[in-house]
Amino acid sequence: MSTDYTTGTIIRRAFMEAPVLRHGLRLTLFMAMAGQAITVVTPIVIQQIIDEEILAPTGIDMSGVLQKAAVALVALVIGVVVGRVALLRLVKTSSSGLSDLRSKTFGHIMRQSVLHVQAERRGTLVSRVTSDISTLQEFMEWGGIGLIVGLSQVVLATAVMVIYEWRMALIALGGVVIYLMMMRWFQRILAAKYDEVRHEVGVSLGVMSESISAIPVVRAYGTEDTTKARVASAMEKRFRVEFTTGRFGNILYSTAEIFAGILTATLIVAGVLIGIDQGMSAGTLVAFLFLTNLLIEPLQIVVETLEFAQSAASGLRRVIRVLDDEVEIEEPSDPEELRPGGLSVRFDHVGYAYPGGPDVLTDISLEVAVGSRVAVVGETGSGKTTFAKLAVRLLDPSEGAIHIGGVQAPKIPLAHLRDRVAFVPQEGFLFDDTIANNVRYGRTESDDAEIWTAFHELGLGEWVDGLTDGLETRVGERGGSLSAGERQLVAIVRAWIGSPDLLVLDEATSAVDPVLDVALRHAIARLTEGRTSVTIAHRLSTAEGADEVFVFDGGRIVERGRHRDLLKLNGTYAGLYADWASGTNSV
Amino acid sequence: MTPWTVVRDGSRLIWRFVKMHPVAFSIAVFGAAMFAAAILASALVIGWITDNVIIPILDQGQEPDLLPIAAAAIIGVAAFKAVGIVLRRTAAGWLQSGTRRDVRNELLAHQLSLKMSWYNKQTIGDLLAVADSDVNQGTGVLGPLPYATGVTMLLIGTVSMISLIDPWLGVSAVVGLVAVIAIDVHGSWVTYGMWEEVQEGRGRVSSIAHESFDGALTVKSLGREHYVSGRFREASEALRDRLIEVNSTWTKYQVIIRALPQLLIVLLLVVGAARIDAGAITAGNVVTVAYLLSLLAFPIQLIGFVLWDLAGSLAGWKRVQAVFDADAHIEYGERAATTDGGAAAILGSAVDFAYDTEPVLTGLDLDIAAGTTLAVVGPTGSGKSTLSLLLARLWDPDSGQIHLDGRDLRTFAGSELPKEVSYVAQDAFLFDTTVRGNITLDAVFSDADIATATRLAGATSFIDELPDGLDTELGERGTTLSGGQRQRLALARALIRKPRLMVLDDATSAVDPSVEAEILMALKSADLPSTIVVVAYRPSSIKLADEVVFLDEKRILGHGSHIELLEASPGYAQLMQAYEKEARRLREEAS
Ligand SMILES: Nc1ncnc2c1ncn2[C@@H]1O[C@H](COP(=O)(O)OP(=O)(O)OP(=O)(O)O)[C@@H](O)[C@H]1O
Ligand SMILES: Nc1ncnc2c1ncn2[C@@H]1O[C@H](COP(=O)(O)OP(=O)(O)OP(=O)(O)O)[C@@H](O)[C@H]1O
Ligand SMILES: [Mg+2]
Ligand SMILES: [Mg+2]
Repeated sequence: MSTDYTTGTIIRRAFMEAPVLRHGLRLTLFMAMAGQAITVVTPIVIQQIIDEEILAPTGIDMSGVLQKAAVALVALVIGVVVGRVALLRLVKTSSSGLSDLRSKTFGHIMRQSVLHVQAERRGTLVSRVTSDISTLQEFMEWGGIGLIVGLSQVVLATAVMVIYEWRMALIALGGVVIYLMMMRWFQRILAAKYDEVRHEVGVSLGVMSESISAIPVVRAYGTEDTTKARVASAMEKRFRVEFTTGRFGNILYSTAEIFAGILTATLIVAGVLIGIDQGMSAGTLVAFLFLTNLLIEPLQIVVETLEFAQSAASGLRRVIRVLDDEVEIEEPSDPEELRPGGLSVRFDHVGYAYPGGPDVLTDISLEVAVGSRVAVVGETGSGKTTFAKLAVRLLDPSEGAIHIGGVQAPKIPLAHLRDRVAFVPQEGFLFDDTIANNVRYGRTESDDAEIWTAFHELGLGEWVDGLTDGLETRVGERGGSLSAGERQLVAIVRAWIGSPDLLVLDEATSAVDPVLDVALRHAIARLTEGRTSVTIAHRLSTAEGADEVFVFDGGRIVERGRHRDLLKLNGTYAGLYADWASGTNSV
Repeated sequence: MTPWTVVRDGSRLIWRFVKMHPVAFSIAVFGAAMFAAAILASALVIGWITDNVIIPILDQGQEPDLLPIAAAAIIGVAAFKAVGIVLRRTAAGWLQSGTRRDVRNELLAHQLSLKMSWYNKQTIGDLLAVADSDVNQGTGVLGPLPYATGVTMLLIGTVSMISLIDPWLGVSAVVGLVAVIAIDVHGSWVTYGMWEEVQEGRGRVSSIAHESFDGALTVKSLGREHYVSGRFREASEALRDRLIEVNSTWTKYQVIIRALPQLLIVLLLVVGAARIDAGAITAGNVVTVAYLLSLLAFPIQLIGFVLWDLAGSLAGWKRVQAVFDADAHIEYGERAATTDGGAAAILGSAVDFAYDTEPVLTGLDLDIAAGTTLAVVGPTGSGKSTLSLLLARLWDPDSGQIHLDGRDLRTFAGSELPKEVSYVAQDAFLFDTTVRGNITLDAVFSDADIATATRLAGATSFIDELPDGLDTELGERGTTLSGGQRQRLALARALIRKPRLMVLDDATSAVDPSVEAEILMALKSADLPSTIVVVAYRPSSIKLADEVVFLDEKRILGHGSHIELLEASPGYAQLMQAYEKEARRLREEAS
């Protein structure tokens, strides 16, 4: 992507991605400024009290003081109320907009291919939708308001100053313009530094989350100290970057003070000189100095919020970058639905290489007929899992074409495809929820009775009924409160419940005990009559009963056929089978 | 919670942080004091310039001799103030970022010292939220704290100055300030509860995000992207509503606080005018006071910010503290490991174990001589992994003991037992580092050691084919490897340590039969100085074992040689012969 992510582009993009941010923005801004304008009346009246009453050579007129005080108070109350309404509106739109942006970013990440999601550490990805967005939130709620109100106050104060004494106002304005131009230049350096901060924040969270996930391994291998050291070094790096960036920002911020000093001094000198020349009263000059204060204070806030803004822009940049990543597994532009009934699979000269890696699959051509039961076997690392992922379109081939049910895979709408095709991956991942809810991931509308039936159909009824809480048993993070085999059982039922027309099992029973494995296989075979199934297994009993066996070796299909015929070839399969048979021979 | 407890707990929390970085805090407060002094000085300078430069020159027509001095004084004070600002903010940054770094390190160290029973009940996403957003939120108050401390000095200084000018003005100022602070405290108290909900909401958002990314393969293969996105959106919107609630409540307070200084000035002018009228004070006095107060407008708001942040900090810290309060520490003894003792014997006696309330193992007795290879067999969910975990002391028995060479596992000092026991989990966990790093886990091993271990684990050939060999970087949890490749690295990690006891929990389940046979042969012929406990289903692995334990119905149902068990235990025979029977059935069916 050659997009230039300048702060301006980024903000425009944010408005585009979360249009809520724009809702009623004009009115909000108008109200914020109006509120500010009205509150400015108060200091002006205060000046007048000082100038016309307190410093009046004729002595003090208490009733005049009280009148003016009343005006000041009324203006104050109105201004403050209008200001609050504006603030509230801003809080609402910004929170809603950012929540939308957060959900959108999350949704976009979820639409990315598995490879893409797994290429980054979980913790770092999580930081995209949590802490990166939080920096924005902070900015919108503190900085955004400060910036808008501050800037409008600068404008107003300038206007009042012009009316009050235009020559001096010109000097003040000139100073402000020069100063802001200088700031603009520094902001760019600050922006780069904040990018670094956000990066280190992401990295440190990645390291933290990995270390937390690894606690059992760390404990088992006694590597507590090296783990702590690894996290500590990531934290230290983050701290250094945060600190030096902060320091730079502070120096920048402090220049506002020096600027204020120089401006005030200049104004006094200029005022006195103009005054001597053209008869300006002391009261006017003093009052003008108060006005200057009204200009400087918001200016300081603006400088400070610009720092916030850079931090937020860096967060936003990371978020937008995620949104700009193209989705690799795209929805078809000219969708074609699958016909009902069993599904066939066809590979034509398919090749696949992981990004930047060598070819993992080469020239795979095969046909899995409707309703057939196919087994895929082969050495570890020979490309079986990759094959399975291609067959269910979790990956797209680098070369060749894949047809599912006679339709080109990229033409099938994804939701439709997932409804018809089920894939059970090698690692039985469960969500931290109940067994029933985990199964519902396979088919949202299933009720408890259907789920219960599914377990029983597959011969797992005894197991679920044996659990104290039955279907309501909570499975823990990643399903950790179940045994590895039990996790696989739930994963199979989950795929099963959607009555898929093509079922792809990747070592889906590798941890299940042999008795249950065989029984489960029978149940599936009985129930998938007429539907297509592809099973990858190192337990070759699957291959023995299959209609066809594909033997993978080094990314190619080296042998294919029925179990009996393959044995006769005396090749790779026969070798594997001999090892399997001698391995399973109980005596 | 009452407003008072917010102040009290808040002060305690602040004190905890300040103690961690006293120097940074002192420098920051010093900077704030410089800043406060500069504000007072600038008010005095302005008053002095008004009385001695501007009025005499403009109204009384004196010569502008003092003008350069006036300009220099203003710029000088500004420079002094700038230095104060840099000192304060930089030191406060050190204080805040440094505290966050330290707390995060402490958090991890604490989590590493806790028992698995605690860990079992947590979700990683939530723990991550604690380490990330709760720590940030919990230490949020440290940002404005030194500033506020300076402001407090400033306020005291200002009020004293005002009181010196005129006691009545002083009283009005004190009343005004007390009112502001009371309002702030009230706001802080009201929002505290809301902040708690916000932090919980953040935890939930983080948990869902983490789990969904972690299980991305499953989500995608089931086509449930929309569903999890919907779940995430719900959590995000709940968080949004809470944030809106807390912020809108706060804006109520904020507007009051923004208005109050102005209100105070008007009040002072009215009182001041009356006092001038009464001849008690001069006009210059009132101008000075009004100016002082106008300068205070922002600092007074700042006290509000601190109290506001304090509410957020208390809420965030509560969740951090909850992790620190978990005191299910693993208890270690004093014993050092004996690494050169050869294979170690295992003795388990009357071991009872439950993860929660449901017993998983009951009255388990196990006596394994040194150097034995023991196979653990049992149906799915019978407690094989549980037994492995107990042997590696990832969990402790609820009652009964486990001894390694006559030493209770619990008597070993921290990190000592792993020097004698290596454990390979059923799900191979790999780190996002190199192949080498995954095998050595940052301990020092020679290349020859690594070569031997990878050869025994049957991993040499695929490692050689990786683009950078041993130095190839793997993704998180080793995603760039196939299932069998991951398992073999995990196996190599255990083998390289030449442990006295090696526990392999179904460590070859994802490996094909030929490679498995190779690995088993290699292990057999390597003559390892280890007692080996292997959980397995395949008779091939089991036949290599000297003894077999058959686990079922929460206890050991049989213990003996493979052949003995085949005869004695029908459950065992059924497990072992399942595939054979199936093969026979298929052959019969075919013919
Ligand atoms: N995400 C990835 N990025 C890069 N390379 C990968 C990735 N996933 C797998 N590979 C490589 O591709 C090859 C084939 O892997 P695959 O997972 O398809 O093997 P497999 O036949 O399923 O093996 P196993 O039986 O061990 O599960 C392996 O060499 C592996 O290292
Ligand atoms: N962390 C946990 N928290 C709560 N219960 C658990 C936990 N781990 C396992 N269990 C339960 O304890 C029992 C034994 O589990 P264990 O993992 O030891 O079985 P296993 O024999 O290793 O099974 P498998 O062959 O499937 O790996 C199971 O019923 C399981 O549900
Ligand atoms: Mg695989
Ligand atoms: Mg297990």
